Amino acid sequence: MYTLLIVQMAVSGALMGLVYALIAYGFQLTFATSKSINFGQGELVMLSAFFSLTLIDVGLPYWLVVPGGMLFGVALGLFVERAGVRLALEQKSEGWILLTIILGLLGFSAAENIWGRDDRPFPTPIPSDPLHFFGIDVTPLELSVAIGVLTVMSLVELFKRKTLLGKAFEAVSADRDAAQLMGISATRTIQLSYGLSGLVAALAGILVAPITTVGPTMASALILKAFSVAVVAGLDSGFGIVLIGLFLGALESLTSFYLGSGWREAPGLILLILALAVRPNGVFGKASIRKV
Amino acid sequence: MKKTMLAALTMGVFSLHAYAADTVKIALTGPFTGGSAPMGVSMRDGAKLAIDEINRAGGIQVGGQKMKIEVIERDDEAKNERGALIAQELASMNDLAGVIGTVNTGVVLAGDKYFQEKGITKIITPAAGSASMTQWSKAGVKDLSIFRFSADDGIQASMVVEEAINRKLKKVAIIHDSTNYGVSGRDDLLNQIKLQGNKLQVVATEKFNIGDKDMTAQLLKSKVAGAQGILIWGIGPEMAAVSNGMAKLGMKMPLIGGWTLSMSNYIDNAGKNGNGTLMPQTFIEDPITPKARSFIDSYHKAYGVTRIPSPMSAAQGYDAVYVFAAAVKQAKSTDTHKIKEALEDLKEPVKGVIATWKHPYAKWDPANEQTHEAFRRAQVVMGMVQDGRVVFANQADRLRLMKNAGK
Repeated sequence: MYTLLIVQMAVSGALMGLVYALIAYGFQLTFATSKSINFGQGELVMLSAFFSLTLIDVGLPYWLVVPGGMLFGVALGLFVERAGVRLALEQKSEGWILLTIILGLLGFSAAENIWGRDDRPFPTPIPSDPLHFFGIDVTPLELSVAIGVLTVMSLVELFKRKTLLGKAFEAVSADRDAAQLMGISATRTIQLSYGLSGLVAALAGILVAPITTVGPTMASALILKAFSVAVVAGLDSGFGIVLIGLFLGALESLTSFYLGSGWREAPGLILLILALAVRPNGVFGKASIRKV
Repeated sequence: MKKTMLAALTMGVFSLHAYAADTVKIALTGPFTGGSAPMGVSMRDGAKLAIDEINRAGGIQVGGQKMKIEVIERDDEAKNERGALIAQELASMNDLAGVIGTVNTGVVLAGDKYFQEKGITKIITPAAGSASMTQWSKAGVKDLSIFRFSADDGIQASMVVEEAINRKLKKVAIIHDSTNYGVSGRDDLLNQIKLQGNKLQVVATEKFNIGDKDMTAQLLKSKVAGAQGILIWGIGPEMAAVSNGMAKLGMKMPLIGGWTLSMSNYIDNAGKNGNGTLMPQTFIEDPITPKARSFIDSYHKAYGVTRIPSPMSAAQGYDAVYVFAAAVKQAKSTDTHKIKEALEDLKEPVKGVIATWKHPYAKWDPANEQTHEAFRRAQVVMGMVQDGRVVFANQADRLRLMKNAGK
């Protein structure tokens, strides 16, 4: 009974952890090509979820809402790149940090004004009655999160490894200047990475919304955890991000069970501090050699 | 958007009249946006329905003159610091007749001292936290200008415990949010369990934060400890997460809690998992009396809805305005101090949608908060969520209210 309970807690937590991993993956995609991160990623998640909810409200079927929401995410990602990141990168400044934060804040106020501040349910055709596996309850919703996250991440990884465009992506992340000399447009590739990062943010929003409800603040808690996952895993390992996501999710859930629900946020922060102090490149990160 | 423009314009026109001193100036405050908005908006809209009715009939008879009611609205966003600012602003107006509103107990605690300092009459509704009134009795305030028009948590907690005992539960878990409201609710529950003879054993006490979506840990702890029912104190969205978590973990047991379980954002977010949830209610959106029917119909018509977001907040806002108006009439003045004195000794019964209010308040006695509390146990019934609406949990209550109305 008791072990079963622990497994139940760990599984529930780990499935949520996959959402952290997906958002963290969005960080990773843009960091690989441009060494920049969209600090408004959480707002991207939230705006895409709201947009998808609007599509549902106008009567679109769920299976069109998902790609619709993801396209919207891509558009937002491209917009962030154009409006916030490219200028800063061209000037070789760190301005993208502030600019992405500001764009995020703008997105937040826009959402409040367009959709209001209430949390709203996100209807989905996926049933919420639990399934039982060896005494553990899992809802089809949670499973859909896991399947969605893993599918999209594998597809993006395949794209990066198997297609020409993907190779360009890899080349730019390995050495931007060398890639540029070889005739690969770094700007295009960074654009692509922002588009993809918007896509995974939107998917995260659509998958998690039926569980968390949709509201302007829906992603603020997720984003901090995703950031921890990205840093702890290292900003260049897709596989590592999934593992750390699962681990952090399970750990949070067990912490809140053993230490009390007030401590739920602690593991993510402690891991983040530990990682920054002990292994700044992350558990799965490659130590990069900096030539001076 | 058009509506707000229109409202802004009308407000503009009204404020031109303000200097003419032929209006009764009432402020309505509450959260009109955010997680508590269903309560705030319903309260405001219910109150404005009453105000419109009074104004259409020419206004309140104040001495020899009929005066219309002028409304000042302030959105506190359920934020304590905003509530305090609004209270300071309103308290600095010297022609304000009174204030009606406030949903969140924290906001009451942050703001009401400014009203009390200036002696401005305020009727709190629908905030139910015990501390809103006990703060004055504890401080030994001799003369209080704050009244309450809602079933306080004491009454509610006693009903929740009673219901759990009636349902033959032996072991319960208490789950509450970590705000002032949730913590004082937990204390009220524990206190009531003691008062009602310790027939319930509390096997787990768990809390959650505003915004939490995953309640698995709290629920599993309760389940492992052998809880047969969950007593809960919080607001809509998080309680919906508890309800959904219970469904996921296959915890088919009663969920009983404060009246906030009737908020639309609980009912909507919990969906079918919310069915069977029990909570005390002062008003149920069921046209059992002609008065209730006309109130529900006019609310639906005026605001273009088929369901009031928080029916009891709306009904309380509506009745509170009538009680206040009766006090203005009796005081024959728009002076807030005189209105306070009239409220403490209302001569004429006020016919409201919840009940006919006979002498709802008495002279404030710091030893007995009930002097400034309008509701007694008899005005409150048990409600139950069923398919997206709140219905009477017990037919007996429904029949009793219908009979009372017939008298």
